[in-house]
This record gives sequence, structure tokens and C-alpha cells, in this order.
Amino acid sequence: MSDVLRVSRLSARRGGREILRDVAFTVRDHEILGVIGPNGAGKTTLFECVAGVLPRTSGTIDGAPLFYVPDGIRPWPDQTVRWTLALNARMFATQVEPSLLDALDLTRLLDQTTASLSKGEAKRLGIALGLCVGPPTSAAAAGVGGATRDRVIFLDEPFDGLDFRQTRHAIDVLRNAKRTLVLSIHQLSDAVRVCDRFLLLDNGRVAGEGTLEELGGNLEEFFLA
Amino acid sequence: MRKDLAELFTSRAFWLLLLFVGLLTGQSFISAVDAYAEASGIGGGAAALAQGLSPLDGILVPTAGAYDLAIMLLFPFVAIRLIASEKSSGAWKLMLQWPVKMRDHLLSKFVALLVAWLIALVPFAIAIALWLSYGGHLDARETLNLLFGYTLRYMLTASVAVAAAALMPGAANAAVVVLGLTIGTWALDFLAAGRGGFVQKLASFTPAATVRMFERGLLRLDAVLILLLLSLLAFAIAGIALDPLRKRFSVSIVIIAVAIALATQVRTSFDVSENRRNSFSAADERVLASIREPLTITVFLAAEDPRMNDYENNVLLKLRRAMPRLHVRYPYSGQSALFENDERYGEIHYRLGAKTAVNRSTTEEIVLETIDTLAAVERRPLPAAESSEYPGYPLAKRPVGAAWIFYLAWPIAVITACRPRTRRTG
Repeated sequence: MSDVLRVSRLSARRGGREILRDVAFTVRDHEILGVIGPNGAGKTTLFECVAGVLPRTSGTIDGAPLFYVPDGIRPWPDQTVRWTLALNARMFATQVEPSLLDALDLTRLLDQTTASLSKGEAKRLGIALGLCVGPPTSAAAAGVGGATRDRVIFLDEPFDGLDFRQTRHAIDVLRNAKRTLVLSIHQLSDAVRVCDRFLLLDNGRVAGEGTLEELGGNLEEFFLA
Repeated sequence: MRKDLAELFTSRAFWLLLLFVGLLTGQSFISAVDAYAEASGIGGGAAALAQGLSPLDGILVPTAGAYDLAIMLLFPFVAIRLIASEKSSGAWKLMLQWPVKMRDHLLSKFVALLVAWLIALVPFAIAIALWLSYGGHLDARETLNLLFGYTLRYMLTASVAVAAAALMPGAANAAVVVLGLTIGTWALDFLAAGRGGFVQKLASFTPAATVRMFERGLLRLDAVLILLLLSLLAFAIAGIALDPLRKRFSVSIVIIAVAIALATQVRTSFDVSENRRNSFSAADERVLASIREPLTITVFLAAEDPRMNDYENNVLLKLRRAMPRLHVRYPYSGQSALFENDERYGEIHYRLGAKTAVNRSTTEEIVLETIDTLAAVERRPLPAAESSEYPGYPLAKRPVGAAWIFYLAWPIAVITACRPRTRRTG
């Protein structure tokens, strides 16, 4: 698999404190990369810097365009799920696939306002928002080496708030989506089940990158170290 | 743009605002028409005012007063919500990734806020229609000028609210900032009275001061430009606060600030009042404009003295328009002067070239006579009955049907229109 996104020497500060230091990693075409790390490791900051919704102090991001869905959002709380999904998809000249909504059990919620969704429902809406975003229309958005023009989707804590059954469902949806995904995940068991490779983040620095085997097979040790 | 309009129409704050604007406008209009009828002798006596009462002063300004309140206390919340809701719900982080420029995001919000204003003007339009149906008189230029002034004031308040919502975490903080700024402009207005110089110049551009000009039927180009530029500045600040990468808006702020400084030097103004209340007679203005030497006036009056108010509004305002080279000095600026033993208190000193004159009059006639003498120009004949005509006065009519429209039909219409849009909120 070829690299579609390359992040080099990314550093960022928040409130005068250095949150990320010289973070570098690559994302490969159609893989699911899991960003793993304890609380405060800088996962969300990393996603926001890469997506451009937070400024970075240094570093470069080359490759395919991306779309980032933050954790815990309920966008446009007075609008319906249908309206919210359609709006976001329209911005990227795509449409919401009914099969995706069925898979995420969102069809019955289409006429609910986003404010009225439960935590798990809002989380599934976030996944749908990400997966509805299609490739850019501009030819300039080709990935590294021109491997793909599809967007890389960054989902922050996509399984947080989902029960066991919903998590299994969401994992199936993500795996079947055949998209290039970067997920920030808290639960190691979920991460192992869904991700192809891992980026270990600790205290704002990269502590490792690779497949489970390449990383020694036991991610728990990384958390407990 | 459809997004922001949809957000506006699902916002309870907007519908509540419409409800209250209708009620406030109705109350103001009904009181104004009643007062106009009383002044017109509806009780059976003669019309009460010797000189008459113009519909601008008697009907339009009091009715528009409802919007003054709404702009200060209600509209900011609608504008703040348009930004704060997207920031707090996480929608803004999605929007930042859309292939939409920050300028277009802000333009869309501006258009939505303008639509909100136009819809909120419906009660005012109803009031005008009712007044005309009673046989009332309105001057189109005066009416449009007043509406334009209020629209500019609204734009500034809405823009400041958008900037505050962009800068501050949370809607409540933004609301405190906007209300604080409003109170700050009131304080500036109060401080600047009778002060002269920079403070007075600055205070002449506060929203309240500029609206007062429009309420007098005066269209001042500098005020128009500055209100527009300040609105633009507030939007540019919002752009900087909302854009994490802060690319181009910083340059815009510098450009707008320079444009504001230049706009303060513009002196063009138009008297669009039907009775030319902001102008001397055409003959007087021709003579005043022909005086080449600078005229310096020193006013030995304190700000709170009623004579100062008379002199400022009835003489100096017209003189400033007619004589570009006029300098006014206020020796008592910032002092109460109540306990002053200065013998000059109450005097007004005039200096034109080497000639000087002193008197205590604040009436237009005497002031013009004094300037004529200093300039050694021919005294002009009094304008014949130029200011004694008040079309539309008297009109002794009660506001028939207004209470039904504003207190019953309007709330029903607003509630009916808002229900299907906000019911989904859950």
C-alpha cells in the first residue's frame, strides 16, 4: 500500500504548553490507522492540527486532503439529523447513502434534532458525517505519488459512548467502508479489532508506529509503562 | 447561505424577538398617535402647539424607538446565537474544513442577520400603513433616512455581537461584552457633551448619537461611512477570531482602521428633513459659505446647562454644516461650572479674523446677526414662514384597530409561523 498522507515534524502549543513535539507519521492507502495513547497524549490536538482547525507551530502535512470529525459534537443542535448530514455532504458535492444510514442505525433518527440524540446516537452521526464526505473534485488533491484522490477521514474517539453491540456494528461499517481512516481510540480491544496499523502517542511524541506485530504484540504494556 | 437562514428560522430567540418587537412597536405607535391626537386638539380644544408637530417627531421617531430598544437588548442575542451555537456544538470545526472561504461564511451570516432585520421591520411597516390610513402625512425622504439610520445602527450592533461571539468562549460572555460596549458608548455620549475636541468628535459616532442625527432628518456622510466601516471591522475581527490560521484578515483590519480615520474627515451632509430643521435659510447659507476667514466661537457654558443644549442643536449644528472653517471651544468642558464665579459664564465669544464680539444669546437670529456684523455683510431679510409649515398637523385621529393588530394578530401570526420550525427541537 502506498502512502497517501505524510506528516513530518509536527509541533503544536496550547496555552503556552507544548502539546506535540516533532510528530511524524504516514497514512497508507485504504488502511485504518489507530492513534493510541493515554489521556493527555495529544491525540485530539494532533487531529486538529492536521485538519487545520488548530494552528501548529511547525511541521508539514503532505498528501491527500482530509476530513476530521471531532469527538463529542452535536452540530447545529436545532436542526435534524437529515438536514445536518445533507448539508455536510452537499459541501463536498456528495450524497448521503441510505445504506450507510441503515448500517449505523440512523434512518429512524433522521427527523430528530441533533440536540435530542443520545451520546451513542451523536457518535454514530459523527461517523456518518465523516464517511459521507467524498473525494475532492479538484485534481490538485492527489495523494503522495498520486496514489489516491480520496479523502483521509480522521475520527476522534468514534466508539466512545457506544455499547458493545453498537461498537461491533460501527467497526463493521468502518471496515466495509473501504476508506482510508485514522481513528483515535481509547479502548485497546476496539483498536486491535479495527485497525491495520497503530501510531503510539505519548506525552506529545511518537512512541511507535507499525502493525501489532511490529510493535511487539502487546499494546497494554505501552499504556502501563 | 441557506444554512444560516435555516439556523435563524429554527432559533427560538428570533421568534421571541419578533414577538416582542411587534408588541413594543405597537405600544410605541399607539402612544404616539394618541399623543399626536391630543396635541391636535382631539379633546375639542384648539391644536395645542402653536408651531405644529411634524410626523417625524410625533409619530416616526417614537415608533422607531421600539427598535432602539430591540437593537440594544434583543438583536445581539440573535446574532450571538448564530456564531456561539456553531462554536459550542462543534459545527464550526466541521465548517472550517468545508471548501468555503471564511469571507463567505461571514457574508452568509451577515445576509441572514439582514433578513432578520427586514422581517423585524414588518411591524414598523404596519405602523406606517396604519398612520397613512388614518390620513396621516409622511415625508418619504425623512422616513427612508430614519430607516437607513436604524439599519446602520442595527448592522453595527449585529456585527459587534458576531465579533464578540467569535472572540469569547460562550454566548453569555459575548452578551456581556456587547452590553458592556453599549453602556460604554452611553458613557462616552454623556462625557462628551459640551466638551469639544477629540472626545466630542468620537462621541458623535456612537450608535445613539448617529441615530439622533437621522431622527433629526440629517444624513451625515461621515457617520454613514464610519458605521459601515466599523461593522466591517467587527466582521474582520470575527474572521480573525474564527480562523485558526488567521491568514488575511489582519491586513484587512489595518486597511479598515485607516479608512475609518479618513472617514472622520468627511464633512458632507444632507438635510433631508421636510422643514429643513438642520439648515439655515438658503440665503443665510450662501452668505455664511462666502465668509473665507475662520470663525472661532468660545462657549462659556457648562455641558448640563440647557442653553448649551439649545445652542449646540439649534445653532452650532447648522453652522458646522454651513461654515467649513468653524472652530468651537468649550472652556468648561468636563466641569459642572455650578460653583464657578467666572463672570464670563453664559457668554459666547465670536472671533472672525481680528474682529470679536460677545453676547449671551443662543438663538439663531442673534447669532447670525453677530456673524453678519463681524463679517461686515448685508443683513438678509427674514425667511418668510419657511419653518412654520408642518404638513400633516393637526390630525386628531385615534389609533383605531392598532391594538388588535399589534396585540393580537401579530402574536398569533408569529406563533403560527414559528411552531412548525421550532417544534422539531425536542
